[in-house]
Amino acid sequence: MATPRTRPVEDSISKVGNELAVGEDLAFQRRWWRFETTIWILFALILAADLSGIFGRGPLAKASAKTADGTMKLDYERVLRYETPDVMTIHFGPNAIQNGRIELWVSESVIKPLGNQRIIPQPKSSILDGDGILYTWPAASHPNSVSFALAPSAPGSQKFTVRLESTGDTITRHVWVMP
Amino acid sequence: MYTIFHAVFGYFFMLLAVRVLVRRPGGQLTPFEFVIIFLIGGIAILSTIGHDPSVTNCTCAVIAVGMVHRFVAMARTRWRRLGRWMDGLPLVLLRDGQWQLDAMEGMRIEPDDVMAAAREQGLTSFSDVKYAVVERTGSISIIKR
Repeated sequence: MATPRTRPVEDSISKVGNELAVGEDLAFQRRWWRFETTIWILFALILAADLSGIFGRGPLAKASAKTADGTMKLDYERVLRYETPDVMTIHFGPNAIQNGRIELWVSESVIKPLGNQRIIPQPKSSILDGDGILYTWPAASHPNSVSFALAPSAPGSQKFTVRLESTGDTITRHVWVMP
Repeated sequence: MYTIFHAVFGYFFMLLAVRVLVRRPGGQLTPFEFVIIFLIGGIAILSTIGHDPSVTNCTCAVIAVGMVHRFVAMARTRWRRLGRWMDGLPLVLLRDGQWQLDAMEGMRIEPDDVMAAAREQGLTSFSDVKYAVVERTGSISIIKR
């Protein structure tokens, strides 16, 4: 039978008042309290950043872009969140309508990484066109706007492009998807 | 795959949050602390499991958390300094009739908390207490005179 493994007991724990083995280390504890304060400040900064929209869904996240003549205006969020619903809206001016319809080319990235769920209103047709999709809506008069309901499926930096076929106006933007 | 990253991140973030939030998550859970522990636990579950509540995903998440916990426990035993950062150290709160104010204020412990621990030992006043020590678990040990 194997001998049980043993080790002599050492009086290794530091004592208070030379009698009570506590193992107190005030120098370490003070370091920890400083670390704790730093973490609390960091937590407060994270909350402030979240409220301001730096992490998405807040005032600083909102952005818009428009073409030089204002034919197309894009309302979007610079920062989105992974698998969290969001809406990107495109407003069209009168020049956007050609032959009673609006044709908009949208890069594939709006469908895949940015996770387009549905388009409001539904386009009359959607045609695969290069590395994007060409949507067509019948339009009689302006103002007209189209919304894309997004739910990003991949975190990180994502680039997308929208192009108005009637004028050739293009808007390209980079957005950040928070994990 | 993301579930495993989420679970590992969630483990370390929860560890940090609970460590800086309260000293006594297991020692003397008051209703006040129950709310914190259960609420952050619930929020962490949402992020870990996400939109995939399948048995596969949940099983992987449980295994990931279990393995991280095992490795952390091994590391803590091997490197005592790591154990200090994760669990803290005992601190003397009362010594020979003197409150140790750095420890009391730093740990946000009131004399009432020490007296409650003394009463559990059958003591009736502070004059019967020689030492009061807040342990790593958050409980308060009382050494009688």
